[in-house]
Amino acid sequence: MISDVKTVLTRNLWKENPVIRQILGICSALAVTNLAINSLVMGIGLMFVTALSSFTISLLRSYIPKRIRMIVQTLIIASYVIIVDIFLKANLPEISKALGPYIGLIITNCIIMGRAEAFAQKNPPVISFFDGLFAGVGYTVILLGIALVREILGFGTIFGIALPFIKFTPWTIMVMPPSGFFMIAIFIWISSAIMNRRLNKQKVRK
Amino acid sequence: MKKGYIYTIIFMFLIAFVFSAILATTNALSKDKIENNEALLEKVAILTAMNIKFTTDEIIKLSENIVRGNNSDFIYYQLEYGTVIEKYAIYFEGAGLWGTITGYIGISGDLTTMLGIDFTYQNETPGLGGRIEEQWYKNQFTNLLISNFPIEYGEGIDAITGATSTSNAVIKMINETISSKVSRVGGVQ
Repeated sequence: MISDVKTVLTRNLWKENPVIRQILGICSALAVTNLAINSLVMGIGLMFVTALSSFTISLLRSYIPKRIRMIVQTLIIASYVIIVDIFLKANLPEISKALGPYIGLIITNCIIMGRAEAFAQKNPPVISFFDGLFAGVGYTVILLGIALVREILGFGTIFGIALPFIKFTPWTIMVMPPSGFFMIAIFIWISSAIMNRRLNKQKVRK
Repeated sequence: MKKGYIYTIIFMFLIAFVFSAILATTNALSKDKIENNEALLEKVAILTAMNIKFTTDEIIKLSENIVRGNNSDFIYYQLEYGTVIEKYAIYFEGAGLWGTITGYIGISGDLTTMLGIDFTYQNETPGLGGRIEEQWYKNQFTNLLISNFPIEYGEGIDAITGATSTSNAVIKMINETISSKVSRVGGVQ
């Protein structure tokens, strides 16, 4: 069980990271990464939804008729997203106000459906829960990485707090949508380079 | 395992029923809380627009002196002590870049000064247009003489970089509200 969780963890965080390896969830990754705090809340929301929907879908997996499984998955995912939305509105109105439309957009994040189809459909509930959770973590880590670069260069702040000592003219382009594309591409480039080098070394050994 | 049509239909019906029930319950449980939050945000916005400094504990007490103005055309509130009206807050709404923006504009009791602005609802891009919620932006619209309207960006008032459409929408809403509504508050019809 523990080793299973570990495999799921390394797979989702690195080998098959949803954003930089599978290129999923790009839409929201481009949109919310100009501020670190938005990325973090979005990531936490996604972790919650992916983990619980994977768990639920896995619980029901032998009862769900194959031909309507996608409708059922969407229904389950949408329900959890609405719960997150209501929870934020009731308990954290400030954050709910700041994130506005993005919470609803968690529904359209392909990572959730991807995990449901690729993993929860065929595996028991507990490990599916962890798979969903770590897919969310993998997404959040990359988003935070991109957001930190963009926020520091674009606003000169980290989590809204101004950088001490360093003064420079903020790069407006880093706040605008295009830089999201540049940053994601750079992250994918770096990760692929490291991945390829490792694969080559393994081949040489053999 | 192959499943028949009847099973499929019953399954879909059941699962839709169960999840709708869960959502309805969650919604019913948090409805009051959400309404309270929204009412509170409304009060905070009115007070902020009137440029009144307050702490969280004082909101309820301060709001006691705020009453809805009697004009059927548009919504405004007045801060009154006895018969003296000190300040007005005029409700406004208009189109932003992505959706409606609503809020309040504060006006002094003698109708000569715009006291401030606060937003109650906006759907602008977080980090770009969403920055209209930031204090520095709203502070630019405090204590402006009505005689200087319409205002535009430039000296003393900055637009938000990367959010030109939202910035323009906001200033347009302010100018329209000031020009069309200020003269009609305070029962002067």
